[in-house]
Amino acid sequence: MDRSNPSRPSRYSVLAVLLCYSIWPLHASGGETLDNKPAANANTPRVVSFANDVVPILTKAGCNAGTCHAKAGNGQNGFALSLLGFEPKEDYTHIALEGRGRRVFAASPDHSLLLMKATNRVPHRGGTKIAPDSESYRLIADWISQGLKYDGESAPKLVSLEVQPQRGVLPRNSQQQLKTIATYSDQQTRDVTEFALYESNDTSMATVDAHGLVKTLDIPGKVSIMVRFQGQVVVFDAAVPQGSPVDQLPPSKNFIDDAVFANLKELGIPPSAICDDSTFIRRVSLDIAGRLPTQEEVALFMQDTSPTRREQVVERLLLTSEYADFFANKWTAMLKNRRDDASDIISNFAFYSWVRDNLLSNKPYDEMVRELLAATGTVIANPPVAWYKRVKDPKQQLEDVAQLFLGVRMQCAQCHHHPFERWSQDDYYSMAAFFSQVGRKPTATRGEDMIFHKRGLAGYANAKTGIVQRPTPLGSPTVAISPDEDPRLRLADWMSSPDNPFFARSLVNRYWKHFFKRGLIEPEDDIRDSNPPSNPQLLAALEKHFIESDFNLKELVRVITTSQTYQLSALPNEYNANDMQNYSHYYPRRLQAEVLLDSVDDLLGLRTEFPNLPSGTRAIALPDNSYNNASPFLRVFGRPENESVCECERIQSSSLAQSLHLMNSGDVKGKLGNGANRVNQWLQSGKAPNEIIVEIYRIAFAREPNEQELSTALAYVNEPKLDAEGKAIDPPRILRENFQDLIWALINSKEFLFNH
Amino acid sequence: MLNLSRKTNLGSYGVVLAVVLCIHSLGFAQSVCLPLPRLLTLTPMGGTAGAAVDVVLSGENQDDVSELLFDHAGIKAVPKLDDKGTPIPNTFQITIAADVPVGLYEARTWSRLGISSARIFSVSNLPEVTRTQANTARENAMSLTVPTICNAVLTNKAIDHYSFQATAGKRYNIYCAARGIDSKMEPVVTICDSQGRDLVVERKGAPLDFVAKQDGLHYIKLHDLTYKGGSEYFYRLTLQELAADAPQPTFFATQPIRSFSWPPAGLPDSAVTTEDEGAEFQALSLPIDVAGRFYPAADVDTFEFTAQQGETWWVEVASDRFGLNTDPALLIQMAKGEGEQKQWVDVLELADIASPVKPSSNGYAYDGPPFDGGSTDILGKFEVKETGTYRLSVNDLFGGTRKDPQNKYRLVIRKAQPDFAVAAWGLHAELRNGDRNALSKPAALRVGNTVAFEVVAVRRDGFDGEIELQMTGVPKGVTATGLKIPAGKMRSVVLLTAAENAPAGWANVEFTAKSKVGETEVVRPVHIGQMAWPIVDSWSEIPNPRLVRGFPVSVTTSESAPLTLSAREARVWEVKQGKKLQLPLLLKTRAEFSGSVVSLKTWGSGFESHPAFNINLTEQFPETTIDTNALKVPAGDYSIAFYGVAVPKYRYHPDSIAPAQEEVKQAEIAVNNVAEELKKQQEALASVAAENKAALEQQIAELNSKKQAADMALQNANNKLKSVTDRAAPRDTAEIIISEPITIRVLP
Repeated sequence: MDRSNPSRPSRYSVLAVLLCYSIWPLHASGGETLDNKPAANANTPRVVSFANDVVPILTKAGCNAGTCHAKAGNGQNGFALSLLGFEPKEDYTHIALEGRGRRVFAASPDHSLLLMKATNRVPHRGGTKIAPDSESYRLIADWISQGLKYDGESAPKLVSLEVQPQRGVLPRNSQQQLKTIATYSDQQTRDVTEFALYESNDTSMATVDAHGLVKTLDIPGKVSIMVRFQGQVVVFDAAVPQGSPVDQLPPSKNFIDDAVFANLKELGIPPSAICDDSTFIRRVSLDIAGRLPTQEEVALFMQDTSPTRREQVVERLLLTSEYADFFANKWTAMLKNRRDDASDIISNFAFYSWVRDNLLSNKPYDEMVRELLAATGTVIANPPVAWYKRVKDPKQQLEDVAQLFLGVRMQCAQCHHHPFERWSQDDYYSMAAFFSQVGRKPTATRGEDMIFHKRGLAGYANAKTGIVQRPTPLGSPTVAISPDEDPRLRLADWMSSPDNPFFARSLVNRYWKHFFKRGLIEPEDDIRDSNPPSNPQLLAALEKHFIESDFNLKELVRVITTSQTYQLSALPNEYNANDMQNYSHYYPRRLQAEVLLDSVDDLLGLRTEFPNLPSGTRAIALPDNSYNNASPFLRVFGRPENESVCECERIQSSSLAQSLHLMNSGDVKGKLGNGANRVNQWLQSGKAPNEIIVEIYRIAFAREPNEQELSTALAYVNEPKLDAEGKAIDPPRILRENFQDLIWALINSKEFLFNH
Repeated sequence: MLNLSRKTNLGSYGVVLAVVLCIHSLGFAQSVCLPLPRLLTLTPMGGTAGAAVDVVLSGENQDDVSELLFDHAGIKAVPKLDDKGTPIPNTFQITIAADVPVGLYEARTWSRLGISSARIFSVSNLPEVTRTQANTARENAMSLTVPTICNAVLTNKAIDHYSFQATAGKRYNIYCAARGIDSKMEPVVTICDSQGRDLVVERKGAPLDFVAKQDGLHYIKLHDLTYKGGSEYFYRLTLQELAADAPQPTFFATQPIRSFSWPPAGLPDSAVTTEDEGAEFQALSLPIDVAGRFYPAADVDTFEFTAQQGETWWVEVASDRFGLNTDPALLIQMAKGEGEQKQWVDVLELADIASPVKPSSNGYAYDGPPFDGGSTDILGKFEVKETGTYRLSVNDLFGGTRKDPQNKYRLVIRKAQPDFAVAAWGLHAELRNGDRNALSKPAALRVGNTVAFEVVAVRRDGFDGEIELQMTGVPKGVTATGLKIPAGKMRSVVLLTAAENAPAGWANVEFTAKSKVGETEVVRPVHIGQMAWPIVDSWSEIPNPRLVRGFPVSVTTSESAPLTLSAREARVWEVKQGKKLQLPLLLKTRAEFSGSVVSLKTWGSGFESHPAFNINLTEQFPETTIDTNALKVPAGDYSIAFYGVAVPKYRYHPDSIAPAQEEVKQAEIAVNNVAEELKKQQEALASVAAENKAALEQQIAELNSKKQAADMALQNANNKLKSVTDRAAPRDTAEIIISEPITIRVLP
């Protein structure tokens, strides 16, 4: 770098990479430029505030995004800014003082490197971020010409932010301009529409541009626009009605139906019809027990004429061991029951079993979480201790607990104020303080500790300020906890309190998603003011019901699955095909890896063998991730490795590899050709082909084939075949091979692959 | 082969580590420690008092088991005979006298290599059955009558199924004894309804109290936590009906090592006071002896008392040592101020009894014994600095969320009653992780052999004196040396030596520890620790040590120690303080060795820093020079011994080859005889008269059967010969070698 002559062009070329070239995701797609119009009184500049003007401009332009100059380490190409401008003093140092003030030129602001880069007059890998004729440009230039004053401490503080309007009903394919008003501690208000950031929570329903102009699209429903400015967040909620006639609603069975149908009425989206019995028993069996209904269950249900026959199916399923297996599988994945070492097997099996037994006995959810949070002792004596084997750092403990049980993502707040939330670093470390007195003693088992409450005053030092934070639940006052008391118990008390705004809400939303594919809040573990539920009344009612039932998980499953909403057909009517968030019809979803593998096995009357486990163990009952290694099927269909507390680790999307696996893989072919599979057994016993076809359909789809399906299948299985040399194959072999083809085709059908 | 020039600073285990690792690094397949007899399984694992039962045993390094011994005179075993009056190998008929109390007893075998390790045999007062057929599915569940105890062994990767008829409203108690009777099984017991749906599950080894909601068939599913099985995974399933208000039956279990330091001598069985569970605090007067429980969850029990300045009290809490999974913590606070100003100020916090020696961390290498003599219980001193009112709070650090009313404790606060508790176990050398099988050691000596036992003490209430160890009733030809734990120390090593000419035999040795507390002589038992099982390595399986009853010591003459190292003369070696002692040694070797040099270190108080020295295994008269000036040993009499590792080319029971060869020979003769007869008859068939043909064909058929049986017998004999020949092939075996004790008198 030529420092001897800073005015030489070569200097700029070297510095060209200083400013960002990638921006905060909000703007990443557009690479938009701040081309706000000049202010009315451009000739009489007011005193520009560094904290309240310059920093927000940089935030809006994306300069201080985590992917740009606020990147951890040293920013971008030597120019560092604090993330989203949360540390104005640091930003001032970097902009005005660092490098002997080379980024700003008070005598000629237009020649300041800061502005030349931002306008791309000097090559900037981030491109043009601020238009030269914009108000943003002028404000920065004015601030430079006004003497580069730092007012971080003295500038009025942002007290509140308001978006106008706060909510509205917008027709499809319409527009709404938002206005953003900031109120400062000196009682002054300011229109910051141009400086605020906007983000839609569902871009398939509505988009918003950098100026706050909202455009709704063709999909009806509820959509929210998050508005951020100087660390504060407000939300504009819009209802986008379809306006179709909703004349006929199924009779409501419970409060779920009340809330869903009211919402559909408001939006003008008529629901689909109630699904048929076959669909219902298959759907509810897959959702509650993680398996296809048995032929006996189907027969019993079909013969039942009672008006409560569907409710009885639900009751029977809730009594099965598979219910506990299936939901334990779900929970232990998120609780990171992971086999890193062969010696983990005992703790993993113990922990899985603990979760499973609690679900089987329907232990209240709050009690179960309490036992996990405040686990002490050894794994064998008290299996939830295994969680502390896997999650060792108090910070990780707080993050996992917050995300899994409260639906709050705290990770960001470890280093800076949460950009979309109200959580600060102090909040983060105050939560970590609940885990600060977790003591460990070695055991005879390698890698395992005894966990105990270490007497002492709980506290955790804020890594930035060094100030020890005392245990404080999110959004609540600090809790006075004596040194003798295990702070984790107090955390558990707070969580299970009926007033807790997160605990029950997070769980009901998670379970709702389990049954409906989409959470009322999405993602299901990101509950925040800026991410409102699609049906707030329903979420509140579910939450209330769950708390009033004493956190009864089976009751929650019961109330959901016996609702008419859950039993709506997956087939859309002429009005609701576009609806993807209001539950006007059932949203089909691919069976998850374990369920699909078990379903293939069920269809063929086989069981996949797993190491260390008894023959007959279902894939939904696998205690940890280690079985993925030996099962390409489970891997391809996205069974998680239990590394994340997020359900998103499980891959539910479809892929080419999955299609190829079902079509060509050795294990599927092996099952089809297995002489012990039920179809081959039937054939050997001389069962008639048409009877076999009917049985197959009953198992796969909980229904019998219709006439056309039966005749097509029958024709196919009897179709003559020639071998590679052109010779006719003997009839028994033809039948065997054709039946394999038939089952192969059924396995590959959407009706089989999806819960619908 | 052996790099004996290596030196380490790893303490008494270090040199052995260096040797073994060095051997390991050279890639030789090597065993560790000469074979010792171990009784591993008894099937069934128990019987009803007053009944007789046939028991089949299995074990390791047990040839020609002639006796099955129990530690209760009312349980007797005789070999079971077949129809011809020949003993059936490893099978005994056991009679249990009617007056044998219900409980656990220890069985051992006497066989070629001596007395075996112990295995639990249970005596009950319920009818017992043994499962004989597979029951790994609901369809073939074994039906049980109520009450029953079923003895069985788990099938690997399977679930055992039982069924019983239940009556609605009745209370059934189901208990699977496993870990507590030496099984490796971590039992999981599930009660299912008639459709096989799981109703309740118990995974912590506790009894399951089940009140049936419906009449009819119910199932019990049993499996190991990780679905392991095999002969080591045995269990006794108890199914009985209890009255609704009946207390939980007592189920016996072996005691963990840590329990040896409880109770203090003279403590009454029952506490003086019982915890007042409803009170915020309980006022008591010192001394205190109170029984309480950590219940409900997060229970904190507080006791208030007054104490006078200058008093010293000893505080002890037992709970973990009852075999419970608890971690008591204790806090004493003093009242300061009055009225609203009153505050409770921390005075003393106590937690955990430290292990007398650092236990193994169960890593790759051996870094201490796997016997943890410490406990999460409490033993400490409370010195009263100020007269006043005090509050003592006791809680369970593991008890935050656990609600087990069985989590009991006993709190004792007493004036100093200096005392001690002592435990001992077979000393192990530094081994690789994969050599953990050698950790399980019965006191079975070969002639000419010296073995070591590590002895540790938990000292109570400030007791600091020397502890003398006594062994009485050792077998003929056996001597015990090194019998004291020095003042202030927690550990010592005791040597048992079998003379070269000692006769075969065994005796129950009374092992006690003696000391003077003030003017009073105190004698305490030495508790013996043993591994429940030899294990392959500690990564896949955790060592499971426990206390055993009795200390049988045996001598075998069927094998000799590979070498004996002793002082050249059996006398007291005198040396003047500050001078050097040229100590002449005598080495007798009875085997071939891999390597010719062994590095030796020294045991014996005051002499342990005597530098390691090498001896050549081909040299009959090695020497070492002991510099009392460098060691700075004061005048007195001392017992020392040298120890190290040698690698003999060990042959297991070569004497078994000749009989096996003879068996083959006899089997061959039998085959030939039958074959010859068969050939003769087959030839005769061609010319036999029609009326005799059928009879001859019958004879030929019988001969064919005999021939098949003879062929099978020959094959078995050949297999056996191969097996004993393979077993007897020389095999490098790293063995801890210990010299005979040597007495040195340092003169002033």
